[in-house]
Amino acid sequence: MIDFWIILTASLVATTTAILGCFLIMRKMAMIGDAISHAVLPGIVIAYYISHSRASLPILVGAAASGMVVTYLIQFFNQKVKLQQDASIGISYTFLFAIGIILISLFSGNVDLDQDCVLYGEIAYVPLDHMSIAGHYAGPRQVWILGSTLIIILTSVIIAYRKLVLTTFDPAFASAMGISVVLWQYYLMAGVSLTTVVSFESVGAVLVIAFLSGPAATAFLLTKDFKKMIYLAVGFGISASILGYYTAVWLAGSIAGAIATVIGLQFAIAFIYIQFVRKAHISQTLENKALTEV
Amino acid sequence: MKPSVETHNLTVIYDKKPAIWNIDFTLPTGKIIGIMGPNGSGKSTLLKAIMGIIEPNIGYSKVFDQDLEDVRNKVSYVPQRQSVDWDFPASVWDVVAMGRYATKGLFKRLTKEDHRMIEESLSKVNMTPFTNRQISQLSGGQQQRVFLARALAQNADLYLMDEPFVGVDAATEQAIITLLKSMRDAGKTLLVVHHDLLTAQDYFEHMVLLNSRLVAEGPTSEVFTKDILTETYGGTLTTLSKVANVLQEKDFPMRHK
Repeated sequence: MIDFWIILTASLVATTTAILGCFLIMRKMAMIGDAISHAVLPGIVIAYYISHSRASLPILVGAAASGMVVTYLIQFFNQKVKLQQDASIGISYTFLFAIGIILISLFSGNVDLDQDCVLYGEIAYVPLDHMSIAGHYAGPRQVWILGSTLIIILTSVIIAYRKLVLTTFDPAFASAMGISVVLWQYYLMAGVSLTTVVSFESVGAVLVIAFLSGPAATAFLLTKDFKKMIYLAVGFGISASILGYYTAVWLAGSIAGAIATVIGLQFAIAFIYIQFVRKAHISQTLENKALTEV
Repeated sequence: MKPSVETHNLTVIYDKKPAIWNIDFTLPTGKIIGIMGPNGSGKSTLLKAIMGIIEPNIGYSKVFDQDLEDVRNKVSYVPQRQSVDWDFPASVWDVVAMGRYATKGLFKRLTKEDHRMIEESLSKVNMTPFTNRQISQLSGGQQQRVFLARALAQNADLYLMDEPFVGVDAATEQAIITLLKSMRDAGKTLLVVHHDLLTAQDYFEHMVLLNSRLVAEGPTSEVFTKDILTETYGGTLTTLSKVANVLQEKDFPMRHK
């Protein structure tokens, strides 16, 4: 049963992040997940300082708030200061992360809070923290939280699908049609913020980033249809979760590490595959040409 | 007759340097209007300011005597081809369909009428055989045709086109100008950013000559003169010598081989 809960947890994170990841990589913003997962630190510390508890909700709210702050900063530096996207991401999140570290060191004398306990989740512990409804065992708490997140993200993306695609592909045209590019950017980033925050609590920051960029990048290599790209990315994310989990059990190693490795291998295999297909296609074309010329 | 586009003191400033400065004009309807000027003279900025993509620092513009917000579905904008990532996973049909659902609400589906418009637009630019082609596999000229089809699908009255002739082959350029003329004949107004002086006289009946500020605006026969072009293009010698050649041949309309 523990196997099942861990794989389910990873798959829920994989599905949510893969959907968002497809939009992010087409917007050249894949590293925004990295930025958000670090930039939430000051929010978490401040939320802890105010509420004096490590309960999930205040921490989540604090994290989501600073996630939106970093999104705003990135947007601001990129649009108003005309700084490059990658530079905007770099300067914004390191700054917020550093503030978070200073805040922690200021409070560390009398507070039970350190980065490890708030930032880096461990997926193997997920089944330990379970819920019960009316006295019955109802599965791990994280599964409920991640499941709700998936439903929220899925509904939001389905509702706004066309606007999100349009503002991703051609922001100038969208804006000329009266669609607010900035509004939909924040809409997407709010989703990424929420997902990153709830996910790294259970699977760790690195795996969240791997899930956000890897499966979407692999899918991008294999299809030229955006909807198919999303389906494929979700498929790769879930299969990496399953394969990664059993690899970790077999090697008795880190689950998150094994899943992230499988994600990397999937990309490598897809890359080699398309090189092979391309070569075959070219030689086929040349052969056909030679035949018609004869 | 109602004016198509009018601007009043339109000014856009990037980094303290004005991209367009105090632009004031009123353009007629039912004509193919060229926006000409050297590189960096603010041609694209002018279109973006009219479309509300860039907020002007000073001034305002009106379309068909109304605020853009009220006539948005009568106006179509064709961005520069290079402004989007053509590796985006989408088909020709997907891109043209954007012209139909851009102004629809979140929950409206494409109707039969929408599908008919998409097909008709594709056939007008001779792209029907490529309907299901991935956009990453198109040539520059085909990409431009797809953008035009998307604009046609909007069935607007005013079209603002940013450099539709850049990087397209001669055949596509001819096909596009023929299409623009037939749109004009159907009563549409076309505002086209263009930089090739050699073809300008043939393509446009009306012109806006721009060099950050407005140099001249009026019927081509009145504004496409040596003095005005010299003022617009300043001391760029190669361009000026081309202009001289064009003006010499003025009485002999240019023909394309």
